[in-house]
Amino acid sequence: MKDLAELAVELAVKLGADYAEARFHEDSTNMYVLRNGMPELAGFVRARGVGIRVLVDGALGFSSLNKPDKALLERRVREAISMARASARTRKKPIKFSEEKAEEASWEVKPKEPFDSVALEDKMSLLYDVDKVLTDEREVGVKVPYRLLEISESVTERYFVNSDGSRISCRVPRVLFLAMITALEPERGTEQDMVEKGASAGWEAVRAWNLVELLRDRTRALGKVLKEGVSPPKGKIDIVLGSEVVGLMVHESCGHPYEADRILGREAAQAGESFVSPDMLGQRIGSELVTVVDDPTVEGSYGYYLYDDEGVKARRRFLIKDGIINEFLHNRETAAALGVSSNAAARASGFDREPIVRMANTFMLPGDYEFEELLEDVKLGVFIKTYGEWNIDDRRFNMRFIGREAYLIEGGELKGPIRRPVLEITTPGFYGSIDALDKNLAFSAGTCGKGDPPQGVPVWFGGPNVRLRNVALGGL
Amino acid sequence: MELGELAEFALREALRLGAEEAAVIAHRDISRQVRFANNEVTVTKTWDALNLYVLLAKESKLVMTALANVEPEAVGNALKDLMALLAVMKPRPDYAPLPEGPFEYEPIRGLYDERIAGMGDEAIDLVEEAINKAIEAGGKRVAGTFAFGEEEAFLLTSKGAEGRGRKTRATLVVRALADGEAAGMGVTCGTRLKDLDPASAGEEAGRLAKLSMNPRPLEPGKYDVIFGRPACAVFFDIVAGMTSAFYVDSGLSCFVGKLGQEVASELLSLYDDARLEAGLGSRPFDDEGLPTARKAIIERGVLRTLLHNSITAKRHNTSSTANAGWVVPRPWNVVVEPGDMSDEELMAEVKRGLFVNNMTYVRFQDYARGDFSAVIRDGVFLIEDGEVKGAVKGLRLSDNVLNILSSIKGLSEEAKQTAHWWMEWGSPAVVTPLVLAERIGFTVPTK
Repeated sequence: MKDLAELAVELAVKLGADYAEARFHEDSTNMYVLRNGMPELAGFVRARGVGIRVLVDGALGFSSLNKPDKALLERRVREAISMARASARTRKKPIKFSEEKAEEASWEVKPKEPFDSVALEDKMSLLYDVDKVLTDEREVGVKVPYRLLEISESVTERYFVNSDGSRISCRVPRVLFLAMITALEPERGTEQDMVEKGASAGWEAVRAWNLVELLRDRTRALGKVLKEGVSPPKGKIDIVLGSEVVGLMVHESCGHPYEADRILGREAAQAGESFVSPDMLGQRIGSELVTVVDDPTVEGSYGYYLYDDEGVKARRRFLIKDGIINEFLHNRETAAALGVSSNAAARASGFDREPIVRMANTFMLPGDYEFEELLEDVKLGVFIKTYGEWNIDDRRFNMRFIGREAYLIEGGELKGPIRRPVLEITTPGFYGSIDALDKNLAFSAGTCGKGDPPQGVPVWFGGPNVRLRNVALGGL
Repeated sequence: MELGELAEFALREALRLGAEEAAVIAHRDISRQVRFANNEVTVTKTWDALNLYVLLAKESKLVMTALANVEPEAVGNALKDLMALLAVMKPRPDYAPLPEGPFEYEPIRGLYDERIAGMGDEAIDLVEEAINKAIEAGGKRVAGTFAFGEEEAFLLTSKGAEGRGRKTRATLVVRALADGEAAGMGVTCGTRLKDLDPASAGEEAGRLAKLSMNPRPLEPGKYDVIFGRPACAVFFDIVAGMTSAFYVDSGLSCFVGKLGQEVASELLSLYDDARLEAGLGSRPFDDEGLPTARKAIIERGVLRTLLHNSITAKRHNTSSTANAGWVVPRPWNVVVEPGDMSDEELMAEVKRGLFVNNMTYVRFQDYARGDFSAVIRDGVFLIEDGEVKGAVKGLRLSDNVLNILSSIKGLSEEAKQTAHWWMEWGSPAVVTPLVLAERIGFTVPTK
């Protein structure tokens, strides 16, 4: 179907498109799910098709099809153009794309252990091994009546062509592990944990995760919180946040509000807009210790890519630099609207989705403290290592994270577990309260949702452990 | 190949390769969308998709696939790969065979409208109508999505079930923004063009946005709340979703062990109605080929059934409720039984409380307990003595599913079909009135 992508662009230009692009994707995903020791799902999804986007009279049209039929393709290209043309009358300002270099490239992630080189039995066995540990109370110290374990391995092959002369192909294997665990202690109720690992790699990534040990350790900690956790302290205290929490906080409160399409209002009806406006570039948002980047080029990362889905070469973006709002995430449309170049943040989750502004791997750069030094002069505080419930308002200003694994800090030392500390804080409140970061940069994997229809794209988010001063925990 | 031929080919091949049981669904979908923001169309989209879904079973083992390449050779290869996968799977002690057919399917009224199936550029006129009404009513910037299309499905099982259905659908969501954070939302949706009222959706969004201007902070605590229809759609989508036996058996539901028990105020009755006339989720058969029916999930506060497919039904020693999903049983149309008060009379019941039009970004600390919080938006107002006393900002809904269910003190008499982006648990639509609940928790940021 690659030739259909070429043909679509050719046809669109002939029919009057000022710009046209087409992406052929072939995505193959294998899934294995074990629920409470039962093989709930084994199967695969094989998707392929062409997505076409045209710019006509300053309006944007998109069309996709999964049938390799030239007559159908022509019909869909014509419809994309006619719908775009009809919608142009509503535009006060025509949509423009930033000028970008036409690229010809081919890139791939080469797996050390391709998925098809590992026996299917071994993949299922791994899930059974994890389940066996989770059901052994001597191993994890708590009853775990509910266990949902999933491995999903995929290979995406993409070919991009546009009327500017770009031709880019790529091949990326990705793997995701997901676990939902429910621990039960009859007198104390339940506590749940979600563990997610992801990488752009082959099966070697799964081996490196040591899933049996990882799940045993996480569940032991969960059980301890459930059995021994006490209420968090009241009043203003110091809070140390673990990498996993910091990662999601920067994803939600820096990555999303710095997406230029949100800033310009394009997502207003769905995920929302942003408290950030274009004139806030250069303004202080947090302590000078804070630098947040989004970087698609981190090797092995779940959000890895070298060219985005508009054919622009990827690079690291400094969203917050030394506490100052430095750069937004752009595709070619938002870049043109704000008079800059695209920084290659256009991603489409599949051939049947338009490329929109997305994060890749968003993280706070680490500092120079040891973890113990973060605790040293904390008289009374809480270390929130992992989170459970979280959300943030649609302008990305008011957020809440509830700790899952959390501990009291007293006299500079970690003490016993704390159950469900609530951190409810504004975005400037968070970045402005950071006074120390340790050296330990770590990443978590996730599937970021945005767009309509929704597009889930693979991302990493991360950071070091950080310390916040003088923050009261929330909740009722 | 036509859908029927494709399904027959796949079923025949699956059985030839040695599957003991098989179900196949050939599905064609042509959808369109007009997205808009800042009073302008931002993009128009068309999708044309033909997909094949196959479930194979042998020796109490199950595997499944979704295929976009439906060329005979590709389907044949995929079925061989499925059989290879089947060979290494372990048997399921809870395996249940597909339902024994054939079945008769009664048609459902009002599911197909050629005017929606054939709609193209004229969709932009409807969007402009909604935008203009929203601006007239007080909105300054208007955003939203008008999504519409048609789909056709052909289902065949090795047990003799054979079903064919087609339907159309359309949903227009309008979000108007006034100054700063002030926003309002309106929705109109259905399976027929005559069900849609873009002007009203636009007017409601604009009116609520205007009312939302100059919001003030409010102290955290417990408030009586009237939930608007968009908020109810999100909440009852979760409630119905959590009655899926798959989620119950995965610990992702607060209804574990609650069948037959009182889980809600006796004022609440909640139905799953796959046979609703012009319902966005209506369908004559489920994914295993069983004929669907209307059923009470919660009746006068009591949890009457979970939602089942054949396997979950066997695990629970009961019959399928025709809600398959091959893995996850799911609701079709969620219907909240209305009360007997007008919207205004329900408001008059509130001495001091809140009106919360929309609830988004619902996340759980503990699904098994039902503890969650949510972002509230698109019209959040203080109500005093039954009247709106201005907009409120900064609050977050922080409570528990079971607590909210048991705190329901009233429902209005007008139920409307509602669907929007933030319904994340998979109900195609929720038909709901306004709902009043007492003493619901709200929190604020501390810094």
